[in-house]
Amino acid sequence: MDQITIREPVVQTQPVKATARGVDVYYADNHAIKNVDIDILDKTVTAFIGPSGCGKSTFLRCLNRMNDTIDICRVTGDILLDGEDIYHRSVDPALLRARVGMVFQKPNPFPKSVYDNVAYGPRIHGLAANKAELDNIVEASLRGASLWEEAKDRLDQPGTGLSGGQQQRLCIARAIATAPEVLLMDEPCSALDPIATARIEELIDELRQNFAIVIVTHSMQQAARVSQKTAFFHLGDMVEYGETTAMFTNPEDKRTQDYITGRFG
Amino acid sequence: MGEHIVTSFDEDIAAVRAKISQMGGLAEEMLSGALSSLQSRNTDLAQSIIELDKRMDALELEVEEMATHLIVQRQPLAQDLRLVISTLKLASTLERVGDLSKSTARRGMQLASTPPAGVTNSIVRMGRQALDQLTAVLDAWGRSDVEGAIAVWRRDVDVDEAYNSLFREVVTYMMEDPRTISVGSQLLFIAKNLERIGDHATNVAEMIHYVETGQPLVEDRPKGEPAGHEIG
Amino acid sequence: MTDIPNLPNIDWKDPALAVRLKRRNGKDNWLCWAGLGALGAACLTLVILLASLLVSGLPAFTQTHVTLDFEILAEKVPADDPGKGKFRTIVRDAIYAHFPDITNRREKRALAGMISNGAQYELRDYVIDNPDLIGSTVSLRVPVSDPYDQLAKGLIDPQTPEENRRLKDAEIANFDALADKGLISKPLNLALIANADSRFPELAGLSGALWGSFYALLVCFLISFPVGIAAGIYLEEFAPKNRFTDLIEVNINNLAAVPSVVFGLLALVAFIGWFGLPRSAPLLGGMTLSLMTLPTIIIATRIAVQAVPPSIRDAALGLGASRHQVVTGHVLPLAIPGILTGTIIGLARALGETAPLLLIGMNAFITQAPDSVMDPATALPTQIFIWADSPERGFVSRTSAAICVLLAFLIVMNGLAIYLRKRFERHW
Repeated sequence: MDQITIREPVVQTQPVKATARGVDVYYADNHAIKNVDIDILDKTVTAFIGPSGCGKSTFLRCLNRMNDTIDICRVTGDILLDGEDIYHRSVDPALLRARVGMVFQKPNPFPKSVYDNVAYGPRIHGLAANKAELDNIVEASLRGASLWEEAKDRLDQPGTGLSGGQQQRLCIARAIATAPEVLLMDEPCSALDPIATARIEELIDELRQNFAIVIVTHSMQQAARVSQKTAFFHLGDMVEYGETTAMFTNPEDKRTQDYITGRFG
Repeated sequence: MGEHIVTSFDEDIAAVRAKISQMGGLAEEMLSGALSSLQSRNTDLAQSIIELDKRMDALELEVEEMATHLIVQRQPLAQDLRLVISTLKLASTLERVGDLSKSTARRGMQLASTPPAGVTNSIVRMGRQALDQLTAVLDAWGRSDVEGAIAVWRRDVDVDEAYNSLFREVVTYMMEDPRTISVGSQLLFIAKNLERIGDHATNVAEMIHYVETGQPLVEDRPKGEPAGHEIG
Repeated sequence: MTDIPNLPNIDWKDPALAVRLKRRNGKDNWLCWAGLGALGAACLTLVILLASLLVSGLPAFTQTHVTLDFEILAEKVPADDPGKGKFRTIVRDAIYAHFPDITNRREKRALAGMISNGAQYELRDYVIDNPDLIGSTVSLRVPVSDPYDQLAKGLIDPQTPEENRRLKDAEIANFDALADKGLISKPLNLALIANADSRFPELAGLSGALWGSFYALLVCFLISFPVGIAAGIYLEEFAPKNRFTDLIEVNINNLAAVPSVVFGLLALVAFIGWFGLPRSAPLLGGMTLSLMTLPTIIIATRIAVQAVPPSIRDAALGLGASRHQVVTGHVLPLAIPGILTGTIIGLARALGETAPLLLIGMNAFITQAPDSVMDPATALPTQIFIWADSPERGFVSRTSAAICVLLAFLIVMNGLAIYLRKRFERHW
């Protein structure tokens, strides 16, 4: 008993990766996101929670300008990635989306081989000079998505032949193949069984070493399990943003409290 | 606090709260019974109090089971989570109060065969103070009354001070007449039990505060440093 | 527990309930049988149609021939220019040789009428191809003329009174005499496919119509396929959603429902009247048909593109693919089976289209298959139209046979559409 170590709780000291200031999103006349300010930290998992239609997915899609593909959608305010305005005219959305990867709700591998799925991003952006480099990227990405061991013998088989959880990890491998800085995940486990979900959650925890991850989820338990920061959205407002543990034990706002304890009428 | 969308969740929470109240009632009954038996040197009453502890243990198990079930079934968060965690702690706290009351009753049974000591009345008065604290804090629990809980928490200093003066009184008593040492030490144990019950009442107050506000009660509490720690 | 008020108390064992259930099941059965009946009626109609076509068309798939020895005398066929030979006389002499008893001019002419008018040209072409045959005797199988063909196929009954018959007793006797010598044969009628149109049924074939249809469909495909896909993709993937594109959409949908004869009129005015394109040319036919096929392909493309799951587009966009990469790399490959199916069905419709072709003159009497898209030609349906209008008895079965050929092509094209769909369909 001559040496007593006191473990301080880990304090979030990561630098800010992305910043939103006064972001409003309109779908035609519908005000979907209202004046959202948020700082997304690097190498941190940030969870967006909130009831359906609260705008969390919409806001997520602002971060890689996926909303550009919707004609009636209009985004105002500033969203900065490393201090650079991603909605500035000089920023090409295609390049931005390579830097800000996205994983969707439903596993959506292309109807191509596992290899071609992962190689697609590097190919269209010309990231690999030759086949060997591309092979390396594919292997690294599949390893990064913990899929290499399962997929290495079936690289030439269609990605759609994998199981649901494997498909989702393939989509993650595909997204990280362009070496993004931020990884957006829109309810990545909602179509998966608990085991596949656990694998993805484990993977998210590993990927956190390399990327800023933003995950939208309907499962509060999942948000509590995987994230360090949580933002609660309600009716287009970002009601509350803070440390995940604090959020789930002692939320500040009544609406957050009501939502996470299942009290919304 | 609004109602849960799942009404049976509300029912479960109400049930576990009711069970805690039941334990609280039993703890009050045991303490007040122990004090009565001490005062009236009634060994039958003391024996019946000792018997009650079995029920207390059973109730604690029931609360643990209910809380576990709630966690498994509802995965409570935020206030619900704090509540369920607190019920577990409350159950063991109240069970400790029951144990302390039982111990008080048992020591009271031994004292019944010795000549009555004048200090017993002071002890019983202190015990009533602790009982008042316990009653007040259980009321506050029943009403989710943070202010009431804070009031109990602040009043604990009174019990501590009563204990300190009692401690000195009994020690003086024993120094004057060494033949009273065996009785006196029993009385000291009883006083210590009652002081501990007062402390448990403040623990409950802290839990109420945490459940309702999410914050620990950290403000510096006026505290009578319990006597017996200093040498001299 | 929440009580739900005012719910009726239901006795599930109530016999009235069983009766109602029985009635409901009865209605189910009735609906089922009505559907089966309708299906049966449709099948029966189809069978009757096909059967009648086959029965009346089958004779046209064989052609009665007679094998004769032709003396290619050097004085009748000049060796330096065999095409100028007197083949008509050679043919006649060949048939007279079998009937040395017949000397009467009238009977001789009747005898000569047994051989098809095309025989002399077949012989001529044969000799032109083999000029060293001049001076020798050639045994060649030549078609008999239409009435004898009908006789051989049993379509002229020798039992009917002579005055109601196209062939007199003597003519039948002559034919039978040849048949007894084993000179008459009924081989597969290759002329039906190989020959172009003719005034003589036994010589008339579909070659011109087939090539005409082929060229017209080729032109139609080359115009409408790329244009249709481009228009469909643009409307689905790139066009802003506004009143103008809505208007275009509505018009394209309406265009698909416009009667084809209207397109014929349009072609008549625009292509022939303004641009001065040659009448009856497959180029013109193809352009006209492409007017009809275009909306079909545009609509098929749009439906196929719509059916591509948005998740695939999202996936590609999310990786930073630009819109053309999304379209060429993902949307088109997934939509192509649907587009191909729509295209082939559109082309099949165009193949069977008659009215607009009539208006632009593709129903002309043309005895030679077209060599290019600019040569005048007919098409399969217009050929059927022409033959159906012809008075000669032999065209009756040929019309049915031509319809069979047209149907066969349609079935093949639809089969191809199904095959392509299955072949390229991808599951995800």
